[in-house]
Amino acid sequence: MALSEATQPLPAAVVRRRARRGFWWRFSRNWLAVVSLMLAVLLIGTAVAGPLLYGVDPNYQHYTAINAWPSADHILGTDSLGRDTLARIMQGLRVSLIVAFYVEVLNIGVGATLGLVAGYRGGRVDNVISRLADMLFAFPGLLFAILVAAVFGQAVTERFGGIGRLLLVAGSLALVSWPLMARYVRSQTLALKERDFVGAARSIGATNGRIMWGHILPGVVGLIVVSATLDVAAVVVSEAVLSLLGLGIQPPDPSIGQMIRQAIDYLETNWLQVFFPSFVLTLLVLVFSFVGDGLRDAVDPQSATNTSEP
Amino acid sequence: MSQLIGRRLLSLVFVIFSITFLTFIVGYLAPGDPILVMMGPRRDPVLYASLRHQYGLDLPWFQQYFNYVGGLLHGDLGVSYRYQGRSVNDILGNGVGVSIFLGMMALVLSLLIGIPTGILASLRQNSWFDRTSMITMLALFSIPTFVMIPILRAFNYFVLYKNGLPSLPPAGWGTPAHWVMPVIVLAAVNMGYMARLTRSSMLETLQQDYIRTAHAKGLPQRQVVTVHALRNALLPIVTVIGPSLAFVVTGSFVVESLFAIPGVGFIGVQAIGQRDYPVIQGTTVVLAVAVVLMNLVTDILYTVLDPRIKAAG
Repeated sequence: MALSEATQPLPAAVVRRRARRGFWWRFSRNWLAVVSLMLAVLLIGTAVAGPLLYGVDPNYQHYTAINAWPSADHILGTDSLGRDTLARIMQGLRVSLIVAFYVEVLNIGVGATLGLVAGYRGGRVDNVISRLADMLFAFPGLLFAILVAAVFGQAVTERFGGIGRLLLVAGSLALVSWPLMARYVRSQTLALKERDFVGAARSIGATNGRIMWGHILPGVVGLIVVSATLDVAAVVVSEAVLSLLGLGIQPPDPSIGQMIRQAIDYLETNWLQVFFPSFVLTLLVLVFSFVGDGLRDAVDPQSATNTSEP
Repeated sequence: MSQLIGRRLLSLVFVIFSITFLTFIVGYLAPGDPILVMMGPRRDPVLYASLRHQYGLDLPWFQQYFNYVGGLLHGDLGVSYRYQGRSVNDILGNGVGVSIFLGMMALVLSLLIGIPTGILASLRQNSWFDRTSMITMLALFSIPTFVMIPILRAFNYFVLYKNGLPSLPPAGWGTPAHWVMPVIVLAAVNMGYMARLTRSSMLETLQQDYIRTAHAKGLPQRQVVTVHALRNALLPIVTVIGPSLAFVVTGSFVVESLFAIPGVGFIGVQAIGQRDYPVIQGTTVVLAVAVVLMNLVTDILYTVLDPRIKAAG
């Protein structure tokens, strides 16, 4: 069986199918990643459908139940203003995931594209893009995102309302995450463009655009998906930090960071109110990190040996 | 060596330029007219024009930028929009010392616990100690700062305070007791990172031939580890000290505002609430430049520790 396969070239479609099956097979061997993927789907489903199914207004203040412990009326209890915790967590989860989604759209749209162009074109284009990324790298951590969100927050909210605020938060977080994406994609592109298949494509007269999008991009997609997934874990935390500092979604609309900030002051009265949002947030971070790790090992089997170390 | 220093200085200039330029541009594009805010309900076009001139806001943007950098070079961060007549230096003043103190204590704690834990774990690979300490360190690394705070405070309140044991103040700044929780929280992420990095770096070093040679010569284990292995294994740790401060900077905003510590992060968050842009800009510049300088120190330290760099540079 193995012999006949080796001697006869397989049809391209079969090779492709096998390659794909190989990827999912490798991914499925990592049980942590598989469980995390299921949990991620569950969390996303909760964020999408949860508020509709539960039907409790996350901003309604139940004055008869202030700082309540979990009960039949409020499954996860209420906060210091009598607002239902489960409803707020689901709404906050929605905010976290929407922000993460926008950030990754920008991160891939801007960061990956610029990285691809910089790596492929080289020369002056590469210089400009790389220096631009370096400029943003000069700021440690979230500092630049904090600055941008702080300076433009008020005006954006006045002009465009809550959606504008959401986009500003996503934009400022994308501002600090695209340089890394661009750097990864650039270095991979640099390696790929020296390979024979690129030369072959050029020799039959393929245009630069066609080589970039048709021949190099497929080789970078795995890297892009992996780093975007891992970045989601970071972005979820960053969004919570911005909310915590009063730069994210404005009250009374809930976000997980804000819920934690408010509940910390009532830790001694009702510690569950800080526990639930913290738990959901930590879960969200871990789940996306493990899925990202699993994807990385599945995309690049050689890296699998290294991931047990930090 | 001089070439290396030259390259370092050039990149330092570029980094400082990036920080000041981007911070300036964001402030320049900031919505709202600071002069109108300053004047309050008064509407006097002559006064408006003279104030605009006085603050140099009638100049083209690049000239404003040169003035801004010129001020920074003299250690002048500008004037607050919110508190008339108060300079940003004055407002940030004491905060800088508090933040540096907090950040340095957190860094030292993370190194003092992280590195020895990593070394011990690598020497007893796959032992009980290795497993539990590395899982703990992974948890410290991945639990977000603001989740760490309620955990510590809950422990402090429910376990220590409720049982009449000596407990820590939940927030505030002043006595050494106030330092404990913020420093632990701020150190946690780096501690986890350093411990895991040290462990893998040690494991890699211990497999090298020269370590086997040292063992073969009959040197005692202690000497092989402390003299031969550590020096090489710690090199990667030194390189990440600078970049790892990024965690401390972002963390300091959260830690300082949740523990009510009058540092730069706390002042920055207050300025955010008041939309006092020059103070926000000042906070950004001070923190970013502090990290840049720290990076420079670790780079120099690295060349001292690793003679190969000098030869290559």
